[in-house]
Amino acid sequence: MKLRILLADDHEIVRRGLCALLQKHEGWEICGEASDGREAIEMAKRLKPDVVIVDIGMPSLNGLDTTRQLMQYDPQFKVIVLTITDSDQVIREALDAGARGFVLKSDAARDLVSAVEALQSKRMFFTPRVNDLVLAGFLDKGHVVARNEPPNLPTLTVREREITQLLAEGKSSKEVATLLNLSTKTVETHRSNIMRKLSLHSIRDLVVYAIKNNIIQIQMPTQIHSAAETPVA
Amino acid sequence: MQHRGNENCMAVRILLVDDHPIVRQGLRTLLQGRGDWEVVGEASDGMEAVEKVESLQPDVVVLDVTMPRMNGLEACRLIQQKHKDAGLEVLFVTQHDSPQMMREALDAGARGYVVKSNAARDLLEAVESVSQHRVFTALARSPQASG
Repeated sequence: MKLRILLADDHEIVRRGLCALLQKHEGWEICGEASDGREAIEMAKRLKPDVVIVDIGMPSLNGLDTTRQLMQYDPQFKVIVLTITDSDQVIREALDAGARGFVLKSDAARDLVSAVEALQSKRMFFTPRVNDLVLAGFLDKGHVVARNEPPNLPTLTVREREITQLLAEGKSSKEVATLLNLSTKTVETHRSNIMRKLSLHSIRDLVVYAIKNNIIQIQMPTQIHSAAETPVA
Repeated sequence: MQHRGNENCMAVRILLVDDHPIVRQGLRTLLQGRGDWEVVGEASDGMEAVEKVESLQPDVVVLDVTMPRMNGLEACRLIQQKHKDAGLEVLFVTQHDSPQMMREALDAGARGYVVKSNAARDLLEAVESVSQHRVFTALARSPQASG
């Protein structure tokens, strides 16, 4: 019986590349493709894939919250997170969310097959950078992981995180309500709770919070006039 | 159109340039449906692109903007400086969905501009257009081709 893989990435060009890479493996099949986190969750519940590969930076519902919701629905889901950054914070969030694999997009052609093979053998797969961080945390008896976190950071519920992302992406309360099948009044209540919990006073503050906490990812303006020092994207 | 590699062969020779191998694979997969097009090589940054244009002499360079070592705009300028009269065309496929970036790309000598999020929709038409020396520009909402 073939290993069934669900892919979630908002760029079809990337999904095409991932499909081409994974379909070379005879024992694997792509059972579905999703273009955002919400669609990925719906498809995962319906298709029950053996492995779910999610991009972090997806619109509507990002990959970290997608992973959280999938694990909440069924902790047996095996999720590999694809990311363009391996910052400590993103790594910690991916691990906390329940990801069993963490692969940099730039290294996907090299690492993704190994990652799926690892999960297939009931092991985890992380890039060397993640391994270093986990090991450092272990040697430091867990204190490293918590060391850089702001104290008493307020915790948003799953629903509040969803709404935070949608508001930060520029959607109105009415649009959020339609998307989540809620009343506008309910969304307004969530919005007030979010602002109060986080001590925020404007949508601008909310956008900044969402960016800082990897709820949304923005395309930074890049210095492209010079050949030197161009960032990887 | 003039095909640089072989005047008798009508295959459009394409060089793919992007720092992410998985994106290059995706582009290759999209293009392979066309039997009269051939992906002759790949490069992972602007410098490598400039070198491979020299050695492979493609008809169309599909070029990312943001890459390490040398970005796509700089590479495009260098390529056009050397090969402007040879019929080579540059098509940008980039995540930058902005009119300003598109203008810079065209100013650098590109003939086409496609946003990565819509590459699956626009790429084939864009390659078709630029290979015939027609401009193709498409931001996220509206593709436009012109002669």
